[in-house]
Amino acid sequence: MAAYILHLAIVAGIYIILAVSLNLIIGYAGQVSLGHAAFFGIGAYASTLAVLSWQASYPLAVLTAILFTGFCGLALGLPTLRLKEDYLAIVTLGFGVILDLSMRNLEITGGPDGIVGIPSPVILGLSFRDPVMYLLLVGLGVAFTLLFTYLLVSSYHGRALRAIRDHETTAQVMGINSPAYKVAIFALAAALAGLAGSLYAHYIKHINYESFGLHTSIMILCMVVLGGMGSILGSVVGAIILTFLPETLRQFQAYQDLIYGGLLVALLILRPQGLLGKGKLSLKFLERKE
Amino acid sequence: MFLQQLINGLTTGSAYALIALGYTMIYGILGLINFAQGEIYMCGAFVTVLLLATGQVPFLAAVAAGLVAAAVLGLILERVAFRPLRGAHPLVPLISAIGASIFLQSLALLLFGPNNRPFPMALDFAAINLAGLPVNTLEAAILIAALGFMGLLVLFVRYTRYGKAIVACALDRDTARLMGINVDRMVALTFIVGSALSGAGGIMMAMYYNATYPHMGLLPGLKAFSAAILGGVGNIPGAILGGLLLGVAESLGAAYISSGYKDAIAFIILILVLLIRPQGILKGRGH
Repeated sequence: MAAYILHLAIVAGIYIILAVSLNLIIGYAGQVSLGHAAFFGIGAYASTLAVLSWQASYPLAVLTAILFTGFCGLALGLPTLRLKEDYLAIVTLGFGVILDLSMRNLEITGGPDGIVGIPSPVILGLSFRDPVMYLLLVGLGVAFTLLFTYLLVSSYHGRALRAIRDHETTAQVMGINSPAYKVAIFALAAALAGLAGSLYAHYIKHINYESFGLHTSIMILCMVVLGGMGSILGSVVGAIILTFLPETLRQFQAYQDLIYGGLLVALLILRPQGLLGKGKLSLKFLERKE
Repeated sequence: MFLQQLINGLTTGSAYALIALGYTMIYGILGLINFAQGEIYMCGAFVTVLLLATGQVPFLAAVAAGLVAAAVLGLILERVAFRPLRGAHPLVPLISAIGASIFLQSLALLLFGPNNRPFPMALDFAAINLAGLPVNTLEAAILIAALGFMGLLVLFVRYTRYGKAIVACALDRDTARLMGINVDRMVALTFIVGSALSGAGGIMMAMYYNATYPHMGLLPGLKAFSAAILGGVGNIPGAILGGLLLGVAESLGAAYISSGYKDAIAFIILILVLLIRPQGILKGRGH
């Protein structure tokens, strides 16, 4: 039982990174990405291949995963983020489909079977094979993500992003380059998803396309909306709730997607600010203009 | 070979065009993407197939029921997932529609199971020879029916009071209201018409591929969106052109480039269009 809770805690930590990074895109760039799981997957494969094919050390593999995923985010964000909100959702969804097909068909990703036998991380001779140690590593990743996000949001750049979100035209008149900010935040969020992917791959040790599909993207989106779009703490809470809750409701597993879908619609009608949307780091932009 | 691929492409393209029309009309009037358009397509196909499978419903009645079911689903979606959220940040109805799409997909999965259902073919579509060319009559029938629906839509929008009222709302909602048009009713009507067209596309593809399943709307829905962008979102002839072009590009790409990546072609086109000509071939009003 303790081992099982430890496992869930590790998974929850990985989802916290994913939810917080998606929340940067939603709450601070005002866009919806439906391909966050695709970046998660890119990070997982990049890290795995770095270790297995290049014999890279673990820290180097993590760095590769973060940089490569961030670069993919940049490449996808550049053409789409100049346009209206809705485009990114569809383009990222399409990107997810392309990636799903690539993971299944490419030789380098091991085809539909994926890659097995991913080694545990070793940093400076210290092995993270033990789950307790791994939880520590994930905790480090979560702490880094939260600190980075907090510093970003409360910096000059964070204020610029909020200005864009609240009134883009005014922000541009003030000399803020809004497309550049949106692309940057999207690439950063993708890079963080890459970090989560790396942490996931070296923990689960067996990856294939199934973990990185639309279902996962929707689950991350649910975590963000449940916790409150634009609330960093909310995303942490949302990720924890949606990791543990399905486990206690095992008998309802067939209804999981039904519940996620219904939850999204119901939350947005009844409580668009989510559970913690009124907190310190929240935003007011979701409130209805009468 | 080339001609056959071209006809295959036009056939699937006509289904994309029908869904793209639903996207474009709703986008035109609300400025929102109805993410659940693919599920409306699936709903139309399922109702028709289930009715035909009973063996007691004539073909045309089953098709009509499928169209009505799609229209009703569209109307319900408008009421539940869009209307309560009007005036909110555009992100909010977008996510709500994504939620509705996932909900409907998993509901269909629970109700009907994951398996493919064949289309109980009531009519016989034999291949005939036309001036030495083999013609698949099913493809011909689908193409003609799709073009018929598109023609009807264009006539409806151009020449009827309701069609003109929809255009007026799309151009300027406030002025339309001042002219005495009931905007809420026109939005609902747009959802009805757009959803019925998507449902028609679903029925045609259920016949063409002889398969109806809960996730059937996912990819065609996405591709139809790409088609709407390709043609110019908000532009009705653009949606038709975009759908047909996309179908042909996909069919030729699968035949001559790689069939494994057939589903990726639409998105590569989408990204290229967004890079090179975001307003689409025929200028849309999206920007």
